[in-house]
Amino acid sequence: MPALALDRPSDRMAPTAAGDATPAITLDRITVRFTTERGTVTALDGVDLSVQPGGFVTLLGPSGCGKSTLLRVVADLIAPSSGSVRVLGGDASVARERRDIGFVFQDAALLPWRTAQQNVELPLEVGGGRAQPGKRSPRELLELVGLAGWENAYPHELSGGMRQRVSIARALVNDPKLLLMDEPFGALDEITRDRLNEELLRVWEETGTTILFVTHSIYEAAFLGQEVLLLAARPGRVRELVPVDLPAPRQIAMRETRAFVELVAHLRRVLETC
Amino acid sequence: MSLRATDALQMGGAFAEDAEAQARFEGTQRMLAWRRRLLPIAAVVGLLVVWEIAVVVFDIKPFIAPAPSMVAKVLAAKFGMLMSNLLPTAIEALSGFLLGNAAAIAIATAFVYKRTLEEAFFPVAVMINTIPVVAKAPILVLLLGNGMEPKIAIAALICFFPTLVNMTRGLRDVSPQQLELMRILSASPREVFIKLRLKNALPYLFSALKIAASTAVIGAIVGEWIGATAGIGALIIQATYNFDSPLLYATIVVGSAFSATFFGVISWAERRLLKWNVGHAA
Ligand SMILES: Nc1ncnc2c1ncn2[C@@H]1O[C@H](COP(=O)(O)OP(=O)(O)O)[C@@H](O)[C@H]1O
Ligand SMILES: [Mg+2]
Repeated sequence: MPALALDRPSDRMAPTAAGDATPAITLDRITVRFTTERGTVTALDGVDLSVQPGGFVTLLGPSGCGKSTLLRVVADLIAPSSGSVRVLGGDASVARERRDIGFVFQDAALLPWRTAQQNVELPLEVGGGRAQPGKRSPRELLELVGLAGWENAYPHELSGGMRQRVSIARALVNDPKLLLMDEPFGALDEITRDRLNEELLRVWEETGTTILFVTHSIYEAAFLGQEVLLLAARPGRVRELVPVDLPAPRQIAMRETRAFVELVAHLRRVLETC
Repeated sequence: MSLRATDALQMGGAFAEDAEAQARFEGTQRMLAWRRRLLPIAAVVGLLVVWEIAVVVFDIKPFIAPAPSMVAKVLAAKFGMLMSNLLPTAIEALSGFLLGNAAAIAIATAFVYKRTLEEAFFPVAVMINTIPVVAKAPILVLLLGNGMEPKIAIAALICFFPTLVNMTRGLRDVSPQQLELMRILSASPREVFIKLRLKNALPYLFSALKIAASTAVIGAIVGEWIGATAGIGALIIQATYNFDSPLLYATIVVGSAFSATFFGVISWAERRLLKWNVGHAA
């Protein structure tokens, strides 16, 4: 099925990015195949995507449609079978080596033998000369994500939500221009997730980072994104790019508004055909 | 901005309000802790008393089973001699422990980076491990002579296998996401090893070291049975041939006490180093 609505209206760009020429991410006909004993899986099939600097794009789709794979291609963790990837105007590997990419995993991926602060400091200790510190110290970042006073706690002493906050602080420590998040709040209870959603928007506004955010929650995708990229499964491909026209600043209460409800209904209808 | 963190701090405050209940709770906890420590001691003392009475009541000959009081007397009277025999055994056990574990850690590292090596040599390690210690000991005495060397070799061999297996697993079982994280940070292979694999392997290593702490002592003692003039093992053989049961029992007490201390030191180091490990935090 051909990708729909790929022509992005130029007025959908992030406010901070107005007039900025090079997109933060450009994917051009990306195809990824995995070969296993059970045969070849086409995880992504000819995916195009363009994300403007400072933008917040959410990726929504059924499980197995290649959302994680897409994120891993952008992060230079997987090489695509065909197609081209440009990240921040260059090779994905160059962006990774310059520490322009921050990645947040679903299970936080903290090192259990390090305290919260030591986990945030990890990017400053590894990778040789690339480890230049950002504007904010690890301590300030922990404060930014609401964990002041928890610097010396070990991961097993933190709740799931707090662990994920640490991992966001860690991803921000080199001032990345691009933040890739793979279902970061998928394992959290709804109340914690709502709270973290609001806080993530605040962090996004404060840092000006471009964010590509994977989720399988329709509400989360609609609430966070300036655009929602809907993916269809088997093979993974772009179904639709839906612009989100909700006023800023967004608050959880906004989910009761008519505009939000209609947006969610539309996303659900499309998703049912994916 | 309302946060879990501040919630928890406020909850802490709420707890502190009832200081009396808090004190009562802590008192109960302390009592339970003492109970845990005292109960096994009471059980051991009780068994010793039963044993002592049984020896007297059934008129058991000292060479068949000496009374605890007699063993205690020998322990006190021959303390210097027992200690001078513990020294070589302790040196052999500790040297074997260090050598065997160092070799196991080095080889586990090689296995993790070169699968081919593991495929070739792991079956060999399994085969050597299946040979019982009492069979390995004479071979090593023939190979290494009558000094401390064969005893150290036996203690090392006996430590080697559990550490090899655990260390290989610990170095290898890092989560794929942690590896991806290291790649995103462009970490060098050396950094991945030191900052990720080695740390991840520590809990696995310590469970092997705790086993090794007791088996190294057993290895040294078995080595001394084959041919030695000094050491806990030699003393056990001599006491047995002389039907000197009180000395035999006293020797065993000294050997066990050393083994237990060794184990205790490793456990203490584990608690200190692995504070972050949930399983050991309690
Ligand atoms: N490393 C891999 N090896 C083989 N197949 C894979 C691998 N990673 C993903 N896949 C397959 O690719 C498809 C897309 O996976 P993924 O990107 O994880 O989906 P999502 O994140 O949307 O749930 C799935 O069918 C999955 O089984
Ligand atoms: Mg996924």
